[in-house]
Amino acid sequence: MNGWLAAACALLLVGFLPALLGICTGPVRRRVLAQNLATVLAALVMLLLSQGYARPSYTDMALVLAVLGPVGTLVYERLLGEELRASRPRPLVTRTMTVLGVAPVPAVVLPVCVAATPGRTTLKLLFIGCLLVAGSALCTRALTTPPGGGGSDGR
Amino acid sequence: MARRLTAALELGAWWVALAGLWLVLIQTVDTLECGVGAGAALLAAYGGRAARRAAVRR
Repeated sequence: MNGWLAAACALLLVGFLPALLGICTGPVRRRVLAQNLATVLAALVMLLLSQGYARPSYTDMALVLAVLGPVGTLVYERLLGEELRASRPRPLVTRTMTVLGVAPVPAVVLPVCVAATPGRTTLKLLFIGCLLVAGSALCTRALTTPPGGGGSDGR
Repeated sequence: MARRLTAALELGAWWVALAGLWLVLIQTVDTLECGVGAGAALLAAYGGRAARRAAVRR
């Protein structure tokens, strides 16, 4: 087992497993936020595994997750909009979930970029990282919009 | 005339960005991939322009 695989295992145990527990239990908002976080972490695990096993095709899985993860979360946001906007989230929850969804991305993507062969692969990894950061931040914002405040208009 | 030129320029800009993205994301660059990418980017460029205009009109 090399360092990349160890990091992937650690991320699965410390990040993905608690996120799965968050999806299985608790109120609706926490479940959807945890689901959003889980897609980000799964994409990062795929990036680490692609380095660990030297299989560049795994990065395509990360790319697919980076595109479809936020889309799935926004579908849930649309479906559960009434319940989500029925209560106001605590600012601490919003801040924590934003940090949890965004901070691990550069921590994983930048080392993988450094280790990968420079060129198109680096650009692809940076693009996946940007998608993950933007998707995670946008979804967290959409899910924690207070009642009556600037979110989806229900159309 | 000016409207057509603007539309063509916008389509061109979309095409360059999307074809560049395709080239970055594929694994091996060869002639067939470039051809397919150019065609897909052209279709997506029309889609991108239509989506932008729909968003502006809202």
